[in-house]
Amino acid sequence: MSDRVLLIEDDRELGAQIVATLHKAGFGVTWWTEGRVPDPASIDLLIVDLMLPGMYGLDILKALRATSDTPALVLSARNDTGDKIRALKLGADDYMTKPFWPEELVERVRARLRRPTLARNDVIEVGPLRIGLAERQVWVGERAVDLTRAEFDLLATLARRPGAAVTRAALVDAAIDADRDGAERTLDVHVSRLRKKLGDAGMIQTVWGVGYRLAGSAPT
Amino acid sequence: MNLRLRLLLTTVAVAVPLVAGLVWLDARSRHRAAEEALARITQERFERPDAQARCEADPVAWGAPRTPGAMGERPPGPAPRTPSGPPSHGPPSRGPGGPPPGLPRAAPPRFFAYDRALASRDPAAPRLAAGTAAALAEGDWAAIDRATFDERVEVLLRSPWPDGPCAYVLVRGTTPRGFIGAILPATELWLAPLAATLIAVLVAVGPVVGRIRRLTADVRRSAAGGFVEAPAVAGADEVRQLGDAFVAASAEVRRQLAARDDRERALREFLANTTHDVMIPLTVLTQHLASLRAGVRTREPAELDEVVARAMDEAHYLAALIHNLSVAARVDVAEPRLERAAIDLNALVARVVARHRPVAAERGIELDSGVPEAPVIVDADLTLLEQAVSNVVYNAIRYNRRGGHVAVVLDRDDGRFVLRVLDDGPGIPPPDLGSLIRRGFRSDAARTRTTGGHGGHGIGLHITHTVARLHAYQLTFTNREPSGLEVELAGPLPPPAATA
Repeated sequence: MSDRVLLIEDDRELGAQIVATLHKAGFGVTWWTEGRVPDPASIDLLIVDLMLPGMYGLDILKALRATSDTPALVLSARNDTGDKIRALKLGADDYMTKPFWPEELVERVRARLRRPTLARNDVIEVGPLRIGLAERQVWVGERAVDLTRAEFDLLATLARRPGAAVTRAALVDAAIDADRDGAERTLDVHVSRLRKKLGDAGMIQTVWGVGYRLAGSAPT
Repeated sequence: MNLRLRLLLTTVAVAVPLVAGLVWLDARSRHRAAEEALARITQERFERPDAQARCEADPVAWGAPRTPGAMGERPPGPAPRTPSGPPSHGPPSRGPGGPPPGLPRAAPPRFFAYDRALASRDPAAPRLAAGTAAALAEGDWAAIDRATFDERVEVLLRSPWPDGPCAYVLVRGTTPRGFIGAILPATELWLAPLAATLIAVLVAVGPVVGRIRRLTADVRRSAAGGFVEAPAVAGADEVRQLGDAFVAASAEVRRQLAARDDRERALREFLANTTHDVMIPLTVLTQHLASLRAGVRTREPAELDEVVARAMDEAHYLAALIHNLSVAARVDVAEPRLERAAIDLNALVARVVARHRPVAAERGIELDSGVPEAPVIVDADLTLLEQAVSNVVYNAIRYNRRGGHVAVVLDRDDGRFVLRVLDDGPGIPPPDLGSLIRRGFRSDAARTRTTGGHGGHGIGLHITHTVARLHAYQLTFTNREPSGLEVELAGPLPPPAATA
């Protein structure tokens, strides 16, 4: 079942465009042009403009937050710090400043709807990879892989956020003895060995300028 | 009420009570002197031979003035020791020779005898209240009528003969007549200091009033001329200080007016420049849209693609420009104010990358970001910092080539955050790198957009510089090997307790 998005936006042209964009991206969209408080049970995400006839966007947010933690994305044409800080304090999950690209909107909406994988705390599964944190054991499919301490820490750090690029500094911090010289160069060596051991070269991707990423189910 | 009249009234208000007090003192002292003289005369009368017999024989005749019924004239008969009649009851300064000629003279004294019960055989004797004799308890005589502003003086004495009709004697006399009856002192000399004071006040105030009037006229003339000509005041007194204060105040007014003119000029210039800045990309966008409409059927799809990509670019540039202009309106003022709050840099990086990703993709540039797992919270102005980071990222995309990379990397480093934006574009020639760091491209030339060159970093980089400076963050530019630019923004993280 597709996620249900409620859009509250008074501008007809912009509202219609947003509805079309979200439809195309596979969301079920309801569109209100006037501000009133939605029923949290009927929506998965709220997109609300700040300046609305009927009810101010921040008031809608406040009323919604009183009863529910449905994700809310605020649209603002005024690039005003006070508005954004108030919106975030009232419980908005994110905001977007007009103008924005359709792709940008879809990305923000997806990010808000992405639910954390309800995995057991001590086991992470990414694609064919299964990582047992407690016993420090890694399997690719059914095959157990024997990793050094640094290699395991490296993989676990990447796997905690599948799909997200992890900076080299963070990886060095997590996996490599800081006292040893050439820690960053050592990192590449460890990654290269890890890739070899995992056997699937596509799993650990190099991200230019940032570090590495474990390709996962989550989109980037 | 003008100054002269006010001073006159003030002087009168001060002088009148003073004069009244002096007059009262004078009247009191004249009364006192008259009372003492009457008491002395009466004692002398008691001491005369056969005074008792005469008084007891005919108290009325004993007490009558020498010329009965003619007060003020020389009384005959039984008072040889007072041939000149009235005692000189005036103030001692008047001397024993009696009142000076020309001054009113006192009336001769009249004596009334009373018995022990304070009854008198003399029908003209004033009735005395029963307790009046008690006033003699402390002395030989007592003043009966104490009215100060009255010429009549009465003194009661106990005679040496307590058993007859002359047990008590009331003696009645007058003080010397004063100016306006008995009220004012006899001479008009007291008027002299009062008049002198009034004249002195008027004389002293005259030039001051004149100077103030001239200053008023000068100030009005100066105001009429737009405060260009300062009023000239001579002298070294308070009026001169007033003039100087006005000169200083008018200088301040002129300065404020000039500052207002400058601000208005700057605002007009800003609006004109802004209009120019916005109109150019809008015009380019319009041209692209027009080409699209005209070329939809005739052009090759690849060509249309190119026009669409450039139109997107212009729209994106326009949005960034307008954001920058609104930020410039906040930070390019005399005293910019930051609206600080705890903000999540991870989320900020995600927003900035999401904003520019569509354009980066259109240009064939890979845009990635990496942030720490736990949110990095800083105390900053959200809008300003986001725009500052956005400008750096956008520049990295705009000046990169197809197939290039841009990376946004956020790390914690020893109580600080370090946000780096890296690209593998052309970088910046070292001489310009220096000026970039020094000036932040504040000049008007920086506003203009040059395609492909580094000069077009323009207002965006200026905003980034200003925002970094306002937050006291370090902003550094380094060329990368083999090519590209690294822009680093670093600043302190609040202590952990503040971020909890």
